[in-house]
Amino acid sequence: MRLSILPVLLLSLASICGAEAAGPLPFERGSWEKLRASHAGQPTVVHFWSLTCGPCLVELPHWGKLVTDRRDLKLVLIAADPLPQEQERVSATLAAAGLANSESWSFTDRFYERLRYEIDPAWAGELPRTVMIDGDGKTTVLPGVADLAQVRAWLDARPKPNR
Amino acid sequence: MRKLLLGLGLLLVGGTAAAQHHRDAKDAAFTATPAFGSDGTLWLVRANADRVVVVKSSDFGRSFSAPVAVTPEAMNLDWGPDARARIAVDPKGGLVVTFAIFQDKRFNGRAFSARSNDNGVSFTRPRPLTADTTSQRFESVAIDPAGRVFAAWLDKRNVARAVAAGRPYPGAALAYAWSDDGAAFGSTSIALDNTCECCRLGIAFAGPGRPVIAFRNIFEGSIRDHAVVTFKDATTPGPLRRVSVDDWKLEACPHHGPSLAIAPDGSYHVAWFTDGKARKGLFYARADSADSAFGPPRAVSSPGRQPARPYLLADGRALHLVWKEFDGIKAQVRWQASRDGGHGWSEARTVAETDDASDHPLLVAHAGRVYLSWLTKVQGYRLIPLEDQP
Repeated sequence: MRLSILPVLLLSLASICGAEAAGPLPFERGSWEKLRASHAGQPTVVHFWSLTCGPCLVELPHWGKLVTDRRDLKLVLIAADPLPQEQERVSATLAAAGLANSESWSFTDRFYERLRYEIDPAWAGELPRTVMIDGDGKTTVLPGVADLAQVRAWLDARPKPNR
Repeated sequence: MRKLLLGLGLLLVGGTAAAQHHRDAKDAAFTATPAFGSDGTLWLVRANADRVVVVKSSDFGRSFSAPVAVTPEAMNLDWGPDARARIAVDPKGGLVVTFAIFQDKRFNGRAFSARSNDNGVSFTRPRPLTADTTSQRFESVAIDPAGRVFAAWLDKRNVARAVAAGRPYPGAALAYAWSDDGAAFGSTSIALDNTCECCRLGIAFAGPGRPVIAFRNIFEGSIRDHAVVTFKDATTPGPLRRVSVDDWKLEACPHHGPSLAIAPDGSYHVAWFTDGKARKGLFYARADSADSAFGPPRAVSSPGRQPARPYLLADGRALHLVWKEFDGIKAQVRWQASRDGGHGWSEARTVAETDDASDHPLLVAHAGRVYLSWLTKVQGYRLIPLEDQP
């Protein structure tokens, strides 16, 4: 009897926690606009990385530590592999870096020129790359491995929300 | 119980999505590389999902033969954005194919070659280019003017040695080997250490037994700018000649390699992508000879259009340059030609476009005509004669 409710439970669990649990959100045409809209007015750091980028994999755990240290850091991770990757590997890599709970997206369209163009027409795809977005939408790009001291300083300079 | 259920639920959801994406990633091995035989046969090597096949066309790409497998079984092909299977036709009509696989989840590669002696009916079982098993990627193959087969690639054996000795080793090494037939290569030599590890190479010849390689080097301070090495003879790489000081300081993977052509007058031509402090975008430079310095870089496109994937070809007195741009909707192949050794260039023209994913644009020549070779997701493979363009 208890077992018979299992499929129902599984189904409902899957639909409830699907987005969070199943791994990164699919980053497709139009996703950047949605992402920006959902963070509008909120200082946000977007970090682009990829499974095929050695320096990115070295850098990720430092972001994991920063997320723990700085509760005021709203971090979004985007796996920008030019070719779509296995979601489970993206998730496992982030989890190993201490980033399991951060918002995560993954490129799912091989037409990467278009995805990059929507993000920044001047971005030719080099990784890693970090974009710090102010509450008013102003962006600061940190190409290559980010100097996290600069990210901390940027966080320090953001107006703190009223408590 | 609740935890167990949650775990099961995650497993189910994750498993389906992962299977879907695994297939997508494999399908994404998506390249077509051409070579003409002396009889006008167009040979095309294609990386299809997890295998490499060769097809041929006797009507300049309008129709193709049934594919002939080069890989005897499914392999985990290197699908990096600057990786591709390559094909060369030797003077005896033999075909040489090279390609690389990922041998582990850390993107260590293994490069192979295979040969066909029966006009593409069958290929020898692929053999590794080198005995060392550390990692080889971005292999490139070319036939020298005397008919010998030259292969060059980025090799990580010296990285492994340095790490074992507790020393840092940025990048990879530029490795090469020669073969008389392309089925098996002789001993591997390292031309130089600390090149960028994730960019394709450009290969041309300054004469028989004298390869020239253009590559992204790592200069002092992690500056990833381009250089050219001209071999003095088959086993003696000459000094490194910097193509341009772009000052691109980056400890990352650009996945953007250069293209190189040497004209019959001995002049050198290089096109490359950079995001350096000194300049950003796509650039071209020329040098009068194997010994002279490269002239000032010429901007090929504005950087806001993602100009990338340049390809240069010298055909007789003409030089051709194609590259890819993106206008916000469509990816376009742009083309310029020079009739005066690269001093003056025609106005850039769009010769093909697509509104979805595409391979790098490549050039190939036969009987005095130059063709754009381009694989796109929507239109498939196209061979477009450039001289016929308005």
